[in-house]
Amino acid sequence: MEQVLFKYIDDPEQHKIERYIENGGYQALAKVFKDYKPNEVIDLVKSSGLRGRGGAGFPAGLKWSFVPKNSPKPKYLCCNADESEPGTCKDRVLMERDPHMMLEGIIICCYAINAHHAFVYIRGEFVFPAKRVEEAVEAAYAKGYLGKNIMGSGFDLDIIVHTGGGAYICGEETALLSSLEGDRGLSRIRPPFPAISGLYDSPTVINNVETLASLPSIFNNGVDWYRSHGTEKSPGTKVFSLSGNVKKPGNYEIELGTPLSYVINDLGGGMEDEQYKLKAIIPGGSSTPLLMPDQIDTPLDYESIAEAGSMLGSGAIIVIDERACMVWVAMKLINFYQHESCGKCTPCREGTAWLKQIINRIERGEGQNGDIDLIIDVCGNIMGRTICPLGDAAVMPTESIIKHFRHEFEYHIEHKKCQVKTDYPF
Amino acid sequence: MSGNGNEKEQITLTIDGQELTVDKGTNVLEAAAQIGIEIPYFCWHPKLDSVGACRMCLVDVEKIPKPAVSCATEVMPGMVVKTATDEIIKARRGVLEFILLNHPLDCPTCDKGGECDLQDNVFNFGIDKSRQTFTRKRVIDTQTKTTFDDKRIGPEVWRNMNRCVTCFKCTRFNKEIAGEWDLGAFQRGSSTVIDAPPGEQIDNLYSGNVVEICPVGALTNNDWRYKIRNWKATKADSICSHDADGQNITLWYDHRQLFRATSRPNDAIDDGWICNIARYGYQYINSPDRLTKPLIKKGGTQVEATWPEAIELIAKKFSKIKGDKGSVCIAGLLGGNQSNETAYLFNQLFRSVLHSNSVDYRLEYTGLTDGEHSEAYNCLYDAPFQISSLETADCVLIYGSNLIKDHPAVNLRLRKAYRKNDAKVYTANPVETKSGDISTDELIYNPDCGTAFLVALTHALIDGKLYKNIDEAKAAEIKSLLEPSNLNEAATRCGIEVDRINYLASDLAGAKNLFILGGDYLRASSDRSRQANALYNLANLLDIPDSNSAILASQANSKGARFLGLSPQLPAKLAKTLADKWGTTLPESTGCNTSEILKGALEEEIDAVFVMGANPGMRYPDGPFVDAALDKLDFLVVADLFETATSLKADVVLPLAGWSEADGSYVNLSGMYQKFSRALKPKAGIKAGTEILQLLMTAIDPQLKFDLSSLSQNTRDVIDSWAIPQRDKEKFFPVKQAHIVDHEAFPYRLLIGNDLHHYGYLTEHCPSLMKFASEPYVELSTQLAEKLGIDDGDLLRIESTSGKLVLKSKISEFFEGDVIFIPNNFSAVDVNCLVSKETGGWVKIEKLDDK
Repeated sequence: MEQVLFKYIDDPEQHKIERYIENGGYQALAKVFKDYKPNEVIDLVKSSGLRGRGGAGFPAGLKWSFVPKNSPKPKYLCCNADESEPGTCKDRVLMERDPHMMLEGIIICCYAINAHHAFVYIRGEFVFPAKRVEEAVEAAYAKGYLGKNIMGSGFDLDIIVHTGGGAYICGEETALLSSLEGDRGLSRIRPPFPAISGLYDSPTVINNVETLASLPSIFNNGVDWYRSHGTEKSPGTKVFSLSGNVKKPGNYEIELGTPLSYVINDLGGGMEDEQYKLKAIIPGGSSTPLLMPDQIDTPLDYESIAEAGSMLGSGAIIVIDERACMVWVAMKLINFYQHESCGKCTPCREGTAWLKQIINRIERGEGQNGDIDLIIDVCGNIMGRTICPLGDAAVMPTESIIKHFRHEFEYHIEHKKCQVKTDYPF
Repeated sequence: MSGNGNEKEQITLTIDGQELTVDKGTNVLEAAAQIGIEIPYFCWHPKLDSVGACRMCLVDVEKIPKPAVSCATEVMPGMVVKTATDEIIKARRGVLEFILLNHPLDCPTCDKGGECDLQDNVFNFGIDKSRQTFTRKRVIDTQTKTTFDDKRIGPEVWRNMNRCVTCFKCTRFNKEIAGEWDLGAFQRGSSTVIDAPPGEQIDNLYSGNVVEICPVGALTNNDWRYKIRNWKATKADSICSHDADGQNITLWYDHRQLFRATSRPNDAIDDGWICNIARYGYQYINSPDRLTKPLIKKGGTQVEATWPEAIELIAKKFSKIKGDKGSVCIAGLLGGNQSNETAYLFNQLFRSVLHSNSVDYRLEYTGLTDGEHSEAYNCLYDAPFQISSLETADCVLIYGSNLIKDHPAVNLRLRKAYRKNDAKVYTANPVETKSGDISTDELIYNPDCGTAFLVALTHALIDGKLYKNIDEAKAAEIKSLLEPSNLNEAATRCGIEVDRINYLASDLAGAKNLFILGGDYLRASSDRSRQANALYNLANLLDIPDSNSAILASQANSKGARFLGLSPQLPAKLAKTLADKWGTTLPESTGCNTSEILKGALEEEIDAVFVMGANPGMRYPDGPFVDAALDKLDFLVVADLFETATSLKADVVLPLAGWSEADGSYVNLSGMYQKFSRALKPKAGIKAGTEILQLLMTAIDPQLKFDLSSLSQNTRDVIDSWAIPQRDKEKFFPVKQAHIVDHEAFPYRLLIGNDLHHYGYLTEHCPSLMKFASEPYVELSTQLAEKLGIDDGDLLRIESTSGKLVLKSKISEFFEGDVIFIPNNFSAVDVNCLVSKETGGWVKIEKLDDK
């Protein structure tokens, strides 16, 4: 399968600007400056069908086109490198090993939306990736790919690399903006949408690392080439982070639309220990509902996964085998979301804390009759009632686990112990 | 709402089946309220940006898939809203259940009980069952190691985190409105804690508002905690009795005492936010130190007497002096926070009954120099500036005012203009001020060189041809009126770079709605007439409306006193109005102003002075002079609430009622007439100013007929008859160079004024305000402290030609260079001894070795 984002991922020198250029880097940018007006860049990205790789899958070109052309305010691009969805580790690799691809994408996007300041918001724990990005930015300045009059085009751009303080919520775009402005990382109510009024109340585009890194290849090879990969509605390739009970966990770049079973069995080498059967799959990061073993052939594209009742999300596939107690899985997830709730919206702040108490009580063997219905009702009071999707993210896997494995919860409450006997090696 | 005349676009929508039309920009929550549909909320506030955090105000909006937060959903044409669908009812119950999960339900001992949004919302929209089966979470305070004890996070503010609903109203107010950073949210999620930053406390001037806007009892204040249930207190509408902004308050009281003051939102003045002085500044009324019996000096000591004795003695003495030596030997000084009604009668006592024109209310800042104020000064002082109009400004120059201290409400409006209207703010002062954080440029002029700065700015406008409505010849003529005669010289003199002045000039000239406001540094300056002339010229050069350039008044009713003619010279029209009202002729003799009265006393030309609600002994800015003058007097009568530096010298002392103990009215700095109601009756032995004056007048002239029922109307008539002078757009005044005092041996410039949390001489009787600042100090810059080897808290001897003092040092980030500041709100120290005509406020500093 053709590797686009990962073409030079194993080249140990690829993070250096010389090697990046040697391998064809910054040619897309040169082409953009030479052949395209900003609105033509937006049109081309629109027709490529590139969709945001952060989780929601929103068409990138369409997002850019919302930026008002005649606003007197400055425009900004924020590259969302706050990769923190459990199971996801694709952006990290891209930044560590091929940071210039992302930078080239940033410059192209800024040119398209007429932004002269871009920010890369990297999660605080990513010390090494942040260092690589900073080095790359420095090298790009030295070579004239950043700063004043880039490549003689008359276009100016400055990139500021900012590391976060370690909060999951800052991966949510409006919380990211609050954090970047120096405030608490709390999400903001929309409208106004960031494209109209984002960073410092100015028009702002926020794109994921992988989205931006996909841009150079589109301009190098053309829309037709790009659309020849993937499906009609989900074109292109995407990196999936495979983890859990498989033989070879890791990041794999595949064309969208490839069956899930190909990733797990062919790329991942199948189940970790063949004597334990597949129990469930989290297909798109910990906040997406489960897929069951009979859905293993679902194609990995936005539409097919949605049809199967889940979401493609950030592309983190977590494989769970039958050794796992699903009450324990639910507990791990709710503990995470409770810890990461920013505390702004009442339902998420109080609701996740209550769910955590109830699910932990069941896991400890102290569950009470009615607890399962209580969980479902509390989930209903959180779902769709909060500003940002964190509340929903906590509820969706919880509801899904109860839907598919209610009997395990009932067993826990009745027998005060796990139905599954084996120790789970996590 | 103070509209700017533009008709707002109207939007028609449907809420719960009712069609209604509202202004564009209204949110659904407010629109529903207009037709009496209550949508519950916690985190929304009409004056704060909507954040949609509490999720209590969810409504169903057609075409929006999920329930929408009504506080952050703007009305749209044809919108169909339902506020009570099954889904919405369930969602609200869900939110209330979440909030109550860990709420302590300590309503019986919570001060917020009865005025608590949580109680009301649960009562109206909640359910009476709980599914909570866990032990309620308790926030443990690391200081006290306990859960229920409240934590004190500021001099007045207490926090009980267990009650908090995390609506962030307090931190949002603090940051958005007040621009302060002394309160924040820490931790996250369900562990979120509201607190002051480590090592700090919430002590900003507006900090009391966070208690008032807290929807529950999470934030309470000392003032009100555990004293009375709010439904047992009676309420009276009132006005702050300290500064001239006229912030509207509600007083809460029972038959014994006042309990608290809360805001009574008035968008024209305060937007519903009141400063701590308005909030806690009522407390002097409750003070146990109040005078409660008249005192008469017998054999050198003041002894208690009865009211009839005291009144008879005063009447006898005044009549005798009038008869023996003439009316000109009697004078009256009235405090700037006495009500219009008192001022009216005080004027009547002097002008009509005693036949003397020597009355004045300007005790604190006038007198050092040039007698009466100049024409330009009076014109700018009377300017019809409206506080609310400031929020429409796109450019503001604050000249000579530490705005947060002088005018707390105007200061918030300036911040609003900056925040909501992107206004460019310039400040020009002898020291840095709080407004610096929103200033495009903060200009600091050399002490006593404010005039030079204004002259430099005038030159810059003329040189850059940035003036309006005049020709070049006229411009050249105006230039010739100025000293120094060119920009460079003036800029050098005031110590500000030419570039910065040019930049300021071009911004002022380019503004569409420019305001130029002067304040206390100008008014306290011996050079104020020249500065007023310069401001007048600027206003004409830039062609700004009369309402946009003003010198702001100080004290709650100094403007009322001016309008009522409490100064020696009366405009002819006013003189006639008064004579008609009183049915007498007014004296023709020339009256004396405050400094002339004191000078007259010193030279034994004035024998008797009646001081009412004022304390020149402490506040008149020439200590040795005022002391000697008062000592020389034959007969001094003082009516006041407390024993003061002035009352100690008096032959008769009368216990005066405070403002809240009588009905009355004030005129604020905008010229706005505002009534206030009596809360408490004065305690036995204390009489209201109007009653004292009535007793006195009838004692002197038993024929005099009074109709007190028409007093309020008469007062109002006189105030309304005041003719506000219009600025003559063709007129330009000369601005000559100020004389600079030779002060070689005294290198440091002393500024005297109000402490941030005090105003005048009464606030030291307010325990809450004393928690913010309880003793006098000398504030100085870091550079000066380093130069003299001074640490925070060191004892310093401050010496001028006229006196010396020992004070604790306080090193301040707001000061630069050789300027120091001492507050004049504390009777413990006689600050005005340092100021006299000769020194003009220059001092030397010496560090005392032993602390």
